[in-house]
Amino acid sequence: MNAQLNSFVVADPKKCIGCRACEIACAVAHYDKEIKTVGCLDRPLISRLYLVKTAEVTMPVQCHHCENAPCVKSCTAKCIEYQDNKILIDEERCIGCKSCILACPFGAIELIISPCEIEKKNLLSMNTGGKENSSQAVVASKCDLCTRRSQGPACVEVCSQQALRYVDFYTERKRRQSEAAQAIGAFVESFRGQEG
Amino acid sequence: MAKRMREFIRIDPELCSGCQRCHTVCPVDAIEGEPGEPQKICGDACVMCGQCVQICSAYDAFFEKDADWRVQKLRERNMPDGTNEPLFAAHYRGNFLAVKEILMHKNKFTMVQCAPAIRVALAEEFGMPLGSLVPGKMAAALRRLGFDRIYDTNFAADLTIMEEGSELIKRLTEGGTLPMFTSCCPAWVKFIEDKYPELVGHLSSCKSPQQMAGAIFKTYGAGLDGVAGENIYSVAIMPCTCKSFEAGRQEMKASGYQDVDAVLTTRELGYLIKEAGIDFAGLPEEEFDKPLGIYSGAGNIFGVTGGVMEAAIRSAYEMVSGKPLDSINVTSVRGEIGVRRTIIDAGEFQLKTVVVSGLKNVLSLLETVKQGNAEFDFMEVMTCPSGCISGGGQPKMLLPLDVPDAYHNRRNSLYRHDEELTYRQSHENPEIKTVYEQFLGEPLGHQSHKLLHTSYKASS
Ligand code: SF4
Ligand code: SF4
Repeated sequence: MNAQLNSFVVADPKKCIGCRACEIACAVAHYDKEIKTVGCLDRPLISRLYLVKTAEVTMPVQCHHCENAPCVKSCTAKCIEYQDNKILIDEERCIGCKSCILACPFGAIELIISPCEIEKKNLLSMNTGGKENSSQAVVASKCDLCTRRSQGPACVEVCSQQALRYVDFYTERKRRQSEAAQAIGAFVESFRGQEG
Repeated sequence: MAKRMREFIRIDPELCSGCQRCHTVCPVDAIEGEPGEPQKICGDACVMCGQCVQICSAYDAFFEKDADWRVQKLRERNMPDGTNEPLFAAHYRGNFLAVKEILMHKNKFTMVQCAPAIRVALAEEFGMPLGSLVPGKMAAALRRLGFDRIYDTNFAADLTIMEEGSELIKRLTEGGTLPMFTSCCPAWVKFIEDKYPELVGHLSSCKSPQQMAGAIFKTYGAGLDGVAGENIYSVAIMPCTCKSFEAGRQEMKASGYQDVDAVLTTRELGYLIKEAGIDFAGLPEEEFDKPLGIYSGAGNIFGVTGGVMEAAIRSAYEMVSGKPLDSINVTSVRGEIGVRRTIIDAGEFQLKTVVVSGLKNVLSLLETVKQGNAEFDFMEVMTCPSGCISGGGQPKMLLPLDVPDAYHNRRNSLYRHDEELTYRQSHENPEIKTVYEQFLGEPLGHQSHKLLHTSYKASS
């Protein structure tokens, strides 16, 4: 089978404490400029992973970067694409038709005000003394595995409980294989011991 | 009264996810609840340090709450309607709206003071690098907001050293309760009153710089401007969520009026500046107003753990030994470790000091004091992990990973500012000399006793 399966971030509900630090880190990583403090925010924090808290389970859900991605198939503007082992939305071409939101089995896609639109609005409000543009373009948005960050996904890095894991299938399979080899080796060893 | 003030730090049950990260920073184990359930702050134990406010990351996610809900919560918290700040579960109720009104109506003569830690953190709220040193821009911003006098807490910190240094020497030479504890951290004072009532006599009788400034503004300061004390509205900008409690204490009316009318946190000053549309980063550097805005480097380092001790040593050493210090920088009392002991040799005197940051670290030392075998004469205690620069009212980092950098840079900036100032010792501050000559008389004198010292309540 193809070694190049898509990677994704997955949460361990046994470890997650529900603090939402991952959501904040995600929103900050996708903010249009570098910000450090809460007071610097000139628009709301918008995360691309979502904490779910029910009586049974607490964990964030996010895009699984599916191999046969339903969102890709559903997209009427053909702006959701496979790229470098990820599923990415080209927000510039998105028409906001919401088909992908209906198609995604994880609820991992949300409509947000387009980042390019926010830029324009900032310029506009500077010129019009704060009067807002009523027609705001909304676009689909979801986890992009922090393509722009050299350190990898921000959510994984920030989690104080190590509840989030970046699953890279090639390394993951290698790790499991070597664990399995060790376990089998030990078993065979002990089996041989019994045989005398 | 005290009870109501304490509830200034709250956890919103609609937002708290029960992650209990706040339990890891609360110095008095005041937060209760089951994991995964909304937590509650036990008002009797809470010292209002605001560390829980700093660590909490459970917020009103954009897609979960509607605009009306948000506006109502913003009002409850006294935050500006237009802010984009998320609403976090652990929060404080500020005084932003009250101060905004006063500045708008201009029917009072307004005096403002800023704690040392504000000038190394405020700029962070405007996208400048963590720990940027901006005393001049801060003064300029306050002037543009319409404050009539831009005075400074650092002036009062110098005054504190004159009084507290003299008090220490008096206790050492004439007898008095030893070891002596510093009294500028209101959370620490509250903690002693509540948990170690038998030790209140160890606290210095000096008020904190905030309250000394308040008392001086409405008396001496009022006289300078020919305004009646009752027409002055006195605002303190603090890195601390407990200072509002301190300002509201019944006994803090030495001037005949409430000495400090309103306390804002660093973050709230940020709201005022933003609402007024001031381009903070583009402001020129301006001076504080004379005389109550003039300060020494010693007053300035009150904002970092070890700073009060160092400032006290810089003056007390000379008062006792009559000789100048070998080095103005008393680096032995600086540092990050929770408990730092030093021995200062001043002629025939040996002063054994200990500096504590983080309230949890003081517990074992207090036990030794109780048993009468404390091996020190003077102890500085700050509730927050690195002193006031890490206070609960300081800019809140979005990412916990940035917190160590913020503390490190703020602290370095405070020491750098100290080095660049003309006067490095509180007793050298010419305006301090003047206020004693013209108004106070001498340290520990009658007028000082009335305005600058206080007594403590042992809670039963
Ligand atoms: S107050 Fe904040 S930090 Fe504390 S348990 Fe609730 S969500 Fe977690
Ligand atoms: S304000 Fe400080 S003392 Fe009070 S609950 Fe929060 S961390 Fe604990």
